[in-house]
Amino acid sequence: MTLTIPFWPKNGYIKGVNSEPGHIHPISSLIREANQIFYGLGFTFAEGPLLEDEKHNFDDLNVPKDHPARDMQDTFFVKAKNDGESNEVLRTHTSPVQIRYMESQMKKGVLPPYRVIVPGKVFRNEATDMTHEAEFFQIEGLVVGKDITLAHLKGTLAHFFEKLFKGAKVEIRFRPSFFPFTEPSVEVDMRLVGEHVPEKLRDKWIEMMGAGMVHPNVLKNAGIDPSIYQGFAFGMGLDRLALLRWSIDDVRHMHSADLRFINQF
Amino acid sequence: MKVSRLWLNKFFDAPLPNATELSDALTFHAFEIDGVDKKGDDDVLDVKITANRGHDCLSHRGIAKELSAILKLPFAHDPFGNKSDISKVTSHVTVKLDTPLCKRYIAGYIKGVKVGPSPKWLVERLEAIGQRSINNVVDATNFVMFNTGQPLHAFDAGKLKENAGFAIEVRNAKPGEKIIALDKKEYILKESDLVIVDANAKTPIGIAGVKGGMPAAIDESTTDIVLESANFDSVSVRKTAQALKLRTDASARYEQGISPELCARGMEGMIEFIAHQIGGEVTGFVDVYPNPQAPQYASVTLEKINSVLGTLLTGAEVSDVFTRLGFGYKEESGVFEVQIPNERLDITIPEDLIEEVGRIVGYDKVPATPLPSFEGKVEINKNYYAAEAAREEWMAKGYSEVFTSVFADKGERLVLNKIDGVKPYLRMSLIPGLTDALAKNKPNKDLLGLKEIKLFEIGTVWKDGKEVLMLGTISEKEKPVEVELVGNTSPEKYEALTLSVAEKFEPYSKYPYIVRDISIWLPEGEFRDKASTIIKENAGDLLMGEPRLVDSYGPNKEGKTSNLWRLIFQSFEKTLTEAEANAAMEKVSTALKAKGFEIR
Repeated sequence: MTLTIPFWPKNGYIKGVNSEPGHIHPISSLIREANQIFYGLGFTFAEGPLLEDEKHNFDDLNVPKDHPARDMQDTFFVKAKNDGESNEVLRTHTSPVQIRYMESQMKKGVLPPYRVIVPGKVFRNEATDMTHEAEFFQIEGLVVGKDITLAHLKGTLAHFFEKLFKGAKVEIRFRPSFFPFTEPSVEVDMRLVGEHVPEKLRDKWIEMMGAGMVHPNVLKNAGIDPSIYQGFAFGMGLDRLALLRWSIDDVRHMHSADLRFINQF
Repeated sequence: MKVSRLWLNKFFDAPLPNATELSDALTFHAFEIDGVDKKGDDDVLDVKITANRGHDCLSHRGIAKELSAILKLPFAHDPFGNKSDISKVTSHVTVKLDTPLCKRYIAGYIKGVKVGPSPKWLVERLEAIGQRSINNVVDATNFVMFNTGQPLHAFDAGKLKENAGFAIEVRNAKPGEKIIALDKKEYILKESDLVIVDANAKTPIGIAGVKGGMPAAIDESTTDIVLESANFDSVSVRKTAQALKLRTDASARYEQGISPELCARGMEGMIEFIAHQIGGEVTGFVDVYPNPQAPQYASVTLEKINSVLGTLLTGAEVSDVFTRLGFGYKEESGVFEVQIPNERLDITIPEDLIEEVGRIVGYDKVPATPLPSFEGKVEINKNYYAAEAAREEWMAKGYSEVFTSVFADKGERLVLNKIDGVKPYLRMSLIPGLTDALAKNKPNKDLLGLKEIKLFEIGTVWKDGKEVLMLGTISEKEKPVEVELVGNTSPEKYEALTLSVAEKFEPYSKYPYIVRDISIWLPEGEFRDKASTIIKENAGDLLMGEPRLVDSYGPNKEGKTSNLWRLIFQSFEKTLTEAEANAAMEKVSTALKAKGFEIR
């Protein structure tokens, strides 16, 4: 059975059916907002499976076979569907969709430029606490072209946060980092300046995400010639962004399914 | 890695800046700092070495080298430049490598060593970085490891079997082979583990790259030692350390993969240490190094550097970076041909050099440039469009959106390594999660001001051999339903949907709440707001939110309307008692009566 697209209610709720409209999850609202901002910059919303093969989740992203990230404690391994097939993994990041998107475009004969965002659920096999969950949401960004630079990454993120934290002056700062799928790799910090900024966030550098210039091997693995094309990618935790945006004290609210939380949004 | 500031100072002639400046220098040009601790007159920085720099930076020398480049401080005392002579060959020790996983093995034979306590400065340095002083010989091997990044080990030669000299062998363990390591625990080895063996006695004396063994342990009676400075394969050491649950400072370094050239630097460091601090006669060395590491080169153009970073750096600025890093380079018409130091195994491609330039000049030099307008076609994601439509539809009908876990008690797909072992399957339906969520929310209905709990979820399930996106709904009155969510229209653009207007999340109490209703007869006129205000002002601190008017009827024959307010009492500190709620209501009633209101 498939769902047909319903009508779009005009007033936010239907009179007479129920006087209490429900609420969408704050993560859904955040994804909606991110999509609105990035759509305006020419980004396509892309998606991919949550249950991934190791090729897309690791190999194609230049994560070496013996990298500690593949160790049992970080990744959920899922038993193969049939005997003789390889086990699969619950994707540990949204980055495999970089590969899937580029592969599918190349298959269609569509060469870069590409601009993609990938909001979605990801998994880490680790103990949960106030700031860590085994299931959480990320948004991936990928821009590939002939002349895309690290400076464009800075400009794009500044634009995104300025739209998201309306009325604030946004500063973006990079620090060196390492990810197998980007080179150079950076950590991205953000600082919000201005009187409209909530005091908890004002004038403080906040670590937002990992990012960098797409590693040539990643482009190559997706069938793109790295001697012609280059680009940037970023991966940001949406739960953390929601925590900052709405001063939420515990990330576990996100999967609590508790309307005392959700109906506040 | 813990790094001592006093230790770092030894690499420079000029004194280093204070710990805050060192932290900033490393943070913005190399590594995150996890913390700084004051230890006496020393400062200890906890440096988070990235996975690509474990080759060279799990050492004070590596960090000092970084600081030299970042802060433009001459690297005056490089332990890699200050070579002791280790070329003298001894025939008293033989080394045999039975595995390609040991790329190099240098053994040094030292006689007449006097084992005793370490000098005070050494004890202090080691303790500053969280190491316990054991004796001067063992401390020396540790000092050199934390100095150069090359793990070392000392065997008591007096405990090795002599047969026209000593015979060291590196080989795979025999299945089930046992060794008592220096922690005095017995380890049972697998064939994939590497061992160091006293070939004359045919007994293992160490777990290669992980830990030495008791059979050749240094103690007060030791006079002659065989020093090991070797290179073991990263994956092999990692697997062994993991399997034996024996992760050591040595294994942590080998796991990263280190240059076999470092074996010589480590041994040189040890010899210098023996000469100046311990004493003893250096008899000679055996160096088995079948395939010496070839010099590494990488090249990059100035144009490429600027095209990746989005900068306008000059050739002189790039040259300056390579000079500061101690890289040899040649520049010819904008092409930099760079010779990479042996220990920098992380640099192979042009982008690696670009990163070096970017981080050393500083990423603050990278401007924020807006993306040019997009020339391609922006696609509309049909599935997301459908999901958004479903959200709007169900929200309008009073349903709220939840996310429940993908892990379930049963399903088609089994998760092999769920830590807690609970819910080891991937869900095949949204309904169990929604059913739980409904039950969980029901008791909070009054608190939420809802007549009925209604929930929906848009989430992934795994059923009939496929991963599918489903829309599930549930309410108190209707049975749960789920349908596959597929975008089957081709919209031109996304709808302009509203966003959450919430400013800030308000934490809620985890304690149970108490509901009290109060019904009041109101005469005609503007009395409702007045009554509501009196209720609110007198209900006390335990009142949650506003008193809510939930029912109203009338007017009756006398022209009065009946109005029912609902009050929720709850504490953030404890479970409220009925008496506390009653007392609050008593105050409300009294206040209302005093103002002439008639309570039903």
